[in-house]
Amino acid sequence: MTTVLKRNNWAIWRDVIFALFVREIRTSFNDRLGLAWAVLQPLSFIFMLSYMRGRMDGGDTHTIPTFEFMMYGMLLVQLFLETLTSCSGAIKKNKALFAFRQVQPISSVLAAALFNLLIKLAVFILIFVIMYFLKMDFKLDDPLFVIINILTLWIFAVSLALMFAIAQCYIPEISKIQSVLSRPMFFISAVFFSMQDVPKEYWPYLDWNPILHAIELTRHAAYGTYSAEAVSELFLFSSALVALFFSICIYHISWKQAISR
Amino acid sequence: MIKLKNVTKYYPSALGNQYIFKNLNFEIPGGHNIAILGSNGAGKSTLFRMLAGSEYPNKGEIITDLHLSWPVALATGIHPQMTGAENARFIGMVNGVADLDLYVRRVRQFAELGPKFDLPVNTYSSGMKPRLAFACSIGIDFDIYLIDEVTSVGDAKFRKKARESLTQKSKSANVIMVSHEMDELRHFCDSAIVLHQGELTFYNDLEQGIAHYQAL
Repeated sequence: MTTVLKRNNWAIWRDVIFALFVREIRTSFNDRLGLAWAVLQPLSFIFMLSYMRGRMDGGDTHTIPTFEFMMYGMLLVQLFLETLTSCSGAIKKNKALFAFRQVQPISSVLAAALFNLLIKLAVFILIFVIMYFLKMDFKLDDPLFVIINILTLWIFAVSLALMFAIAQCYIPEISKIQSVLSRPMFFISAVFFSMQDVPKEYWPYLDWNPILHAIELTRHAAYGTYSAEAVSELFLFSSALVALFFSICIYHISWKQAISR
Repeated sequence: MIKLKNVTKYYPSALGNQYIFKNLNFEIPGGHNIAILGSNGAGKSTLFRMLAGSEYPNKGEIITDLHLSWPVALATGIHPQMTGAENARFIGMVNGVADLDLYVRRVRQFAELGPKFDLPVNTYSSGMKPRLAFACSIGIDFDIYLIDEVTSVGDAKFRKKARESLTQKSKSANVIMVSHEMDELRHFCDSAIVLHQGELTFYNDLEQGIAHYQAL
């Protein structure tokens, strides 16, 4: 009959996350546009915004081509927002699957997180390919730093989402509060402006936001000439680390009760 | 053998915590096919879900070294937008089945859904979903199958088939069953656990258990 493997805990985790990941891919793109939508939607936004800003500043924004300026802002803020929404909904969405003892809530959060990261990376690469064929000039002065920024922002988003996801199990209204809180993030995270456009005395009002740091730092990493005076990597890394620490603590003490309600 | 140690379980509600079990200590003996008897709301499904590890007690623990199935109810873990084959594959993957292709083929054969097996589950009729769920669980070898009223759905032919395969299984494995149909229980089980007001009582003889349950 069917042989069932005796797996160690790591193998179980790996298999479960992979299975959930495949399930995510299979069920997320069910309409006719499918995967293409994941690329088309941000791309159209970037073109629109960079066209508008490009008309105002002649195609260059603080030494970066406006298209790339918008691209980093747009893709990073979308990476944050989409990861946050889908990961924080992951526990509730997959509730029926916790009937299988092997499926733990964090696996579904991680599967959603990986899925979002891969999609955004694919979009990044695709946009670079498009830029190459359109013969737009682009520079990547410090590609490693770009990657680190993206990953740090992603970790920050996943950690926040894990906390929200657990909280939602106890208080369902949290999801509404979360969507109200995350909406302004699009507008205050330097997606279509630069900190250099903002007078120095107003920086403290925007500076607390790690997403803004990630976006400005990524632009700086791509174009060394772009000034990142207002932001610091230390702040970005430490907010991600603190959020990760607390989310894992909260998860560890509460996951069993969170799914038993 | 499954050991329940100091198990306390409650659900929070508007009227305060609703206790299902309070400091329950119990041993479910191995080697029996057990029927769980209890009135509506006595906590049969909760007990089931805790045994399966789908839910956890608020206090205490449940200890076993046996390989228990998930609680096989009408459509556990089946995604409406995925096809029957994809669902079977998912369940196989999660449970660590070594040869997934073989497993999916076996589920296909058993569920007898024909071409519908390759269509999304939301196109299935209400009788077909439990068939898929049951076929998925019977395709994996467990020590104990937790069956929650699934054998009483589907058409006569499928019921007969489910009965046969479950009887076949109960030679090498055991079942713990919840059902309100006594005939069904008499067919599969030899002993009973009666659940009443948060207390469990084991009866070695099924008829004795049924008599007690009906006298409650």
